[in-house]
Amino acid sequence: MAEEARILIVDDEPQIVRALSINLKALGYRIDTAATGEEALRIAAEHRPDAVILDLGLPGIDGKEVIRGLRGWTKIPIIVLSVRDAEREKIEALNAGADDYMTKPFGMGELVARLRAALRREADPGEDLPVVETPHFVIDLATKRVSLPDGEEIRLTPTEWGIVDMLVRHRGKLVTQTQLLKEVWGPEYGRETNYLRVFMAQLRRKLEPQPGTPRYFITEPGMGYRFQLPTE
Amino acid sequence: MSRGKLKVFLGFAPGVGKTYAMLEQGHRLRSEGRDVVIGFVEPHERAETAAMIGDLELIPRRSMTYAESVFEEMDLDGILARNPEVALVDELAHTNVPGSRNTKRWQDVDELLDSGIDVLSSVNIQHLDSLNDVIFEITDILQRETIPDEVVRKAAEIELVDLTQEGVRERLAAGKIYPAERIDAAMANYFRSGNLGALRELALSWTADRVEEAVAKYRELHGIAHPWETKERVVVALAGAEGAEGVIRRAARLAMRSRADLVGVYVRPTHGLAEETSPSLSVQRELLQDLGGRYHEVVGDDPGNAVLAFAREENATQIVLGASRRSRFDELLRGSPTAKVIRNSDAIDVHVISYEGAHRPSRHFRPRHHKPISRLRLGIAWGIAIIGLPLITWVLRSVRGQVELNNVQLIYLLAAVVAGGVGGALPAAATAVAAFLLANWYFTPPQETWAIGSPDDLFSLFAFLVVSLAVGLLVGYSSRRSADARKARAQAEALAATTSLGHPVYESDRQGLLRRVRDVLALEAVSILRRVSDGWETLAWDGSRELSTPGEGSEVIDLTEEVVMVILDGRLSADDRIVLRAFAAQIVQAMKREELEREAESAGSMAETDRLRTALLGAVSHDLRTPLATIKASLTSLVETGLEWTPEETKSFLRTALDETERLNRLVGQLLDASRVQVGAVHVFYRPVGLEEVVAAALAGLDSSRDRLIVDISESLAEVQTDPVLLERVVANLVENALTWSPSDQAVRVSAGEVAGRIDLRISDRGPGIPPQARDTVFQPFQRLGDSPNREGVGLGLAVARGLLEAMGNELVIEDTPGGGTTMVIGLKIAGPIEMPVDAGVISG
Repeated sequence: MAEEARILIVDDEPQIVRALSINLKALGYRIDTAATGEEALRIAAEHRPDAVILDLGLPGIDGKEVIRGLRGWTKIPIIVLSVRDAEREKIEALNAGADDYMTKPFGMGELVARLRAALRREADPGEDLPVVETPHFVIDLATKRVSLPDGEEIRLTPTEWGIVDMLVRHRGKLVTQTQLLKEVWGPEYGRETNYLRVFMAQLRRKLEPQPGTPRYFITEPGMGYRFQLPTE
Repeated sequence: MSRGKLKVFLGFAPGVGKTYAMLEQGHRLRSEGRDVVIGFVEPHERAETAAMIGDLELIPRRSMTYAESVFEEMDLDGILARNPEVALVDELAHTNVPGSRNTKRWQDVDELLDSGIDVLSSVNIQHLDSLNDVIFEITDILQRETIPDEVVRKAAEIELVDLTQEGVRERLAAGKIYPAERIDAAMANYFRSGNLGALRELALSWTADRVEEAVAKYRELHGIAHPWETKERVVVALAGAEGAEGVIRRAARLAMRSRADLVGVYVRPTHGLAEETSPSLSVQRELLQDLGGRYHEVVGDDPGNAVLAFAREENATQIVLGASRRSRFDELLRGSPTAKVIRNSDAIDVHVISYEGAHRPSRHFRPRHHKPISRLRLGIAWGIAIIGLPLITWVLRSVRGQVELNNVQLIYLLAAVVAGGVGGALPAAATAVAAFLLANWYFTPPQETWAIGSPDDLFSLFAFLVVSLAVGLLVGYSSRRSADARKARAQAEALAATTSLGHPVYESDRQGLLRRVRDVLALEAVSILRRVSDGWETLAWDGSRELSTPGEGSEVIDLTEEVVMVILDGRLSADDRIVLRAFAAQIVQAMKREELEREAESAGSMAETDRLRTALLGAVSHDLRTPLATIKASLTSLVETGLEWTPEETKSFLRTALDETERLNRLVGQLLDASRVQVGAVHVFYRPVGLEEVVAAALAGLDSSRDRLIVDISESLAEVQTDPVLLERVVANLVENALTWSPSDQAVRVSAGEVAGRIDLRISDRGPGIPPQARDTVFQPFQRLGDSPNREGVGLGLAVARGLLEAMGNELVIEDTPGGGTTMVIGLKIAGPIEMPVDAGVISG
């Protein structure tokens, strides 16, 4: 189903729009494009895309306004594109409701991976829970078991498991610190980022081949975490 | 026919106004009635200059054909035929068209001078032969039109036409130097501000005081073997003869005309060390200082040789002497100092000036008025006379019979000598006379009468009187002489100290000068004040209290129009005043030197900035072009050649283009960071963050070197308050640098730990290490030690790292890695107390 999804690309750089369109069309997506925020909102309302790739630096109303406009009526994934050194803007965009971000210049492979992750429906608890296999460990969300490839079980604390569960369900997507804290610790949490650090470190020691330079449980400093399979 | 005089207008760049100044002087001379013509002036289409020519007579130029082109040259024969008094000739360093009589214009000018014509000419500093290589280093432009230094140095007058470098650039921008289409190119090349700054510094060096030191240093730096003297010195010998002020004035004029230093020297005979200075000498000394000269005293009994030796030591080029009025007999007997100076002067020019007034060196000194011997000493001396003598007499009387008259007299003599030594001649004489009377009355038989029995006793008693008077007086006199000598020596030392204070003289030396003034003159307090709009500003002070206005002192001495020296002390002798004045002159010079130093320094730093900018452009254009060239080559292979490539070949081209794009991206990022750092536009967004997370993110980009990295950062460390994105770039830069320098079989270690309330992040390599003296320079852009050209990057990594850290308010310190190598230490602030989460369960479900 994903391959027929409709994607809205919003960027004022025609070259970028062209490159993205060619790639995504080749992958089977249907593409709409817009060069300004106003146009983007109008087309989104008309064509109801399944995901939006949105440049933050637009002429006219800026990217954050577009996100707020979209979030008024839809929960479709929004991936924002921003240049380096616009950290504050990136965070504001995430707070406004964006799902993920890419820093320009980006690689097409990475963008496609992010887009696929964003389009992937969140694993529905109870049915068809995925089993994630890596060369270093196997995570079975249904049985809540983590084991080494040879079958030996790795014991996790409930909190550790909560984090693994959340990140693996959103595999490939950015999970913000606040989302993680609210999901694992409870809705009254949100600022206790140091909790996350401690548990992420414990997790990495148990699961990562090189805990100091993780390859599965990635930190986006100051923003959140991402569970990522090296092949994606 | 006497040779004409050359005046050179010296500039540091085209367009500072040399030609204009020259024309201006031409008009001035003509208005003084001199016959002035323009031999050759090139207004370079500059309107102001062209207007300045006005109605001055122009000698038509001569057209010459060479290589089928027509050149206009100065008509040398035309000028010689016209034979004016003064000729204006622009561009002294110009090279004539082949086929002209002389190859260089300065040789033409030489001919004009030889035929008695005064010449005003202009030249830029970069044409000077000896500066050729230095100028080349600064400007990258090899000056082919050069001129021997001697030509300019021998000019009767050199006038520095100075303008600030910004002034020159403004004039250039306003189109006053070059036509509009050449302005941009000129601005970017020769007229770069740093360039001009350096040239101006050179030109100032030529004329600034104390240039020798700067030049010597410069020579050392640039290995210029040929020494060039740039500042002339005129030495005038002071004899203290009445009416010789005219000689000093004449010397001052000479000095001024050749922009030379004026130095006065007085030869003090060794036997006159303690003598009072003659009043005319004091007057002349003050006059000399008023005229901007320095005063020196040397000690010697042969004035001629002493003056010459002094002049040589000072590198003087001219000596001025007053005409000696010694008697012929005197000259025969002792030889004329003037003749001696002239005979042995070698390369130094000697001017002998006769003057009105007294016809002999003044031997008429003011009656000596010594500082009185202190009251205490006088008291003691008189005490010896009034109390000591009766006491001695009483003691001697009580042992009468056991002491011979001779010994009695010796003991009295001792008393007279002591009184003389302590209190001078008067107490000595009084003691001697009193002792004579006492010895007569009490000890000479018949005792207690004035009569003297034996002729022997009479003789011995009178001999005693004479001897004790003579010895007492002599001791008194010589003790005073030695006190005077001590004082003279102290003053000489003080003066020597002031004049030998080297340059540069900074604040502390000025303070040192003041302290010395206070010590030597035993002042209570001394201040140097500058007049400011609403009162006085203290520049320096020493003593018991700060005198913050002239009114608080007992005496005020003007140093310059704005600066005064205020002293507090009631009693200053004439000598003291002279010392004070000498000090004052030295302080003024020190202040002037400081000013010049500052000016030269700012010009220097300008040049440094420019050097950096040039290096940046060079590095950037090279490092950006290299990947771009590869990308273009790869892509055009696919698109433009029309060849059929196998899929593997196509992929390989694309992979290359992609890798190079990545390289380009990193470079651009680094340049962006560098320029942000430079203009202070780094936006810092502080958040509490775990250090191990930042480090992990920073290392994520270094996939290929991961196995060479050891990361040791505990997640139980407190969070740091920082901008994670900026810190990530800092760490990436530093780690990359560490990997570059570590041998490939050695690991780079990244660790962190809490130290004294902050967290230190340490990145340690096993490379060659950085010597302590180079630790500051490695952070400058393009300063990779032992740079090798095929290393990636423009050498900005460390500069960017430090710049970003500074913007975040963190420090970067270089330490040695124990066992060899470099450790970069970043001190980070702890975000707040860490609260450990509680995890109840242990086993997963």
